[in-house]
Amino acid sequence: MSTLTALELGAYALASLLYLGFLVGLRDKPGRLALTVAVLLHLGDIGARCVHGMNPISSTPEAMSFISFLLAAGYLLGSLRYGLASAGAFAAPAALALLLLARVVPAEAGAPAMGTLGYTHILLATVGVAVFFIAAVLAVVYLFQDRQLRRKEFARVTDRGTPLDTLDRLAARCVSLGFPIFTVAIVTGAMWIARLGVLHGAAALRPEYVLAVVTWIAFAVLLVARLGGGWRGRRAAWLTLGGFGGTVLVLVVYFLRHAA
Amino acid sequence: MAGKAPPTIDVVVLGVSHRTAPVALRERLSVVPDQMDATLRELKTLPGVREVALLSTCNRVEIYAVASDTDAALRALGADLARRAGMLDAEIEPHLYARTERDAVKHLFRVASSLDSLVVGEPQILGQVKTARDLAAKAETVGPVLATCFERAFRVARRVRRDTEIARNPVSVSSVAVELAHNVFGDFHGKSVLVVGAGKMSDLAARALRSRGAALTVTNRTRARAEELAAAVQADVADFADLADALGRADIVIASTGAQHPVLTRELLARVQRARRGRSLFLIDIAVPRDVEPSVTELEGVYVADIDDLQKEAAKHLAGRRSEAVQAESIVEEEVTRFLQTVGGRQLAPTVTAMRTHFIGLAHGEAEKFLAGLAHLSEKDRNAIVAFADALAKKLLHLPQLALKKDAGEAVSLVAAVRALFDLQGADPLPEGEQGEAVAETAGVEGREEPS
Repeated sequence: MSTLTALELGAYALASLLYLGFLVGLRDKPGRLALTVAVLLHLGDIGARCVHGMNPISSTPEAMSFISFLLAAGYLLGSLRYGLASAGAFAAPAALALLLLARVVPAEAGAPAMGTLGYTHILLATVGVAVFFIAAVLAVVYLFQDRQLRRKEFARVTDRGTPLDTLDRLAARCVSLGFPIFTVAIVTGAMWIARLGVLHGAAALRPEYVLAVVTWIAFAVLLVARLGGGWRGRRAAWLTLGGFGGTVLVLVVYFLRHAA
Repeated sequence: MAGKAPPTIDVVVLGVSHRTAPVALRERLSVVPDQMDATLRELKTLPGVREVALLSTCNRVEIYAVASDTDAALRALGADLARRAGMLDAEIEPHLYARTERDAVKHLFRVASSLDSLVVGEPQILGQVKTARDLAAKAETVGPVLATCFERAFRVARRVRRDTEIARNPVSVSSVAVELAHNVFGDFHGKSVLVVGAGKMSDLAARALRSRGAALTVTNRTRARAEELAAAVQADVADFADLADALGRADIVIASTGAQHPVLTRELLARVQRARRGRSLFLIDIAVPRDVEPSVTELEGVYVADIDDLQKEAAKHLAGRRSEAVQAESIVEEEVTRFLQTVGGRQLAPTVTAMRTHFIGLAHGEAEKFLAGLAHLSEKDRNAIVAFADALAKKLLHLPQLALKKDAGEAVSLVAAVRALFDLQGADPLPEGEQGEAVAETAGVEGREEPS
């Protein structure tokens, strides 16, 4: 592990602790500061790896690291504008976990020849997952706060929370941003596979392909329900989590197959 | 600085407050702004009073003064208050409190910082103290000493607000209601508030929400009452028969009917909420008995705060303010010490000059007197004697001068002592103007040597 990697992991770990501390009384500034440092170190690390030919979409671990970076950076940007400190208690640890995973997972051997299609697919899928990840973090915070307000634990939300409407609106924005990206990712992915000519019979029904389509449908339903049906709040939050869960499953299955 | 007399300032305060006097007495003593000018001028003519300002709010009436004779000033001011209250001196005495010197400065700082307020941390008092200062400035009854004290009090109050959370959380039921609604909506612009029933409390909460951008609608069983309240808070009126419709359009509901049974039942709200497609609805129930059926929180997107919840939050915030007040008190304490050191530092340069003039003047005067009887001495001898007197005076001055200049922060008590010992009047402790301020700041706060 390089010094830079160690430092960025340390900074993420510190940010996670500080943000968790925020939930029980710490100020939010130290966490934000630590996370900013972590994100900058991470950016430097990604740059350094690029120089060594390991760009963010060259392998699964690099892509995971990139998702972690996008998640943390996206969260930070959002929290500058909206008070999202409590979401940091989820975003920072999630970024840390992803990065840890990325650094211990070996790069897959013999990755297929990528070509433009492959690159486009992986890049878009990576960005799409990161955006959905942020939506999922916001949904989790929404559900927590919804429960606290119904249980009349008002002070917790007042002191540490973000207005429910803000969380809902931001999550909706993430989903409508992530959905087209994810859509193009799926299409280019399908084209890529077709181009490689590995699609025969049963292979067409590989679980991750099916899951990807199911996930896409889940997000499509969510988007339509939000835009057309005025769906929002708790139900929308659960559906966001469901869709994100699907996304994660796709990645896990994909990774397990490649590791095997 | 143990063992040394603390620095002093000739400020006194005499007054009554919610802690010491009933409202009936405070009313009689209060001074309306129109009469302030005349009252202040009158107070300034009292014996021993050099500068004066008067703070008159519904919770306190206080006279701040700079006294040339503390006891005389306090006696005269007390008698004046008694006269205006229509009481004997002895009758008003138990309601009055007097503070002098350090305690008077500290009192002013505490009042301005809202530490002495009925509701600790309430924000109005600072503005009221500023008004008191402005009115006294207009009446030309404040001089450099009071002006400096007030100016510093404002700074201390700002620091207390900045460095503690004393004023962060609201403590009135209506502002707590607004705060809790903020948890759901964040921004009230474009939100609709429905007021069901027309009580005093709903009036306050509704006004608070409207001032943050929400639109108001009032409904009441008796339409006339609804129209009355609607006119007062600039709201629309909805027919009580169309309650379900009105609820469908609302984001926040303030309920305060006198009904014996819940008006906003779970069944009604379930129907309303279906049509709202999950849009959040925040119900503020300030009626007793309650207007909202408690089980409505099981409905999606429906949140309720009843009067108990509101009062519980308010009480929590008040307790929070009290604990923040402890920190605020130590800030005030620190600022009082710092301020008096500054004032002491400001006295240093003129005191040194006055002491030198005094000593050297004495020496030369005595030498002249001595030489008057010695006409036979040559010019050279006469000069030698004057030089001797001059040198002696300067030698005698050397150590006290060093002691005074050694450290402006520590020397303040010495400055006071020297001024008292040699009866030095010429040195105004608080010269006006930017330069004096800047010099005193560095000397007093940083503890550096006074440039002279």
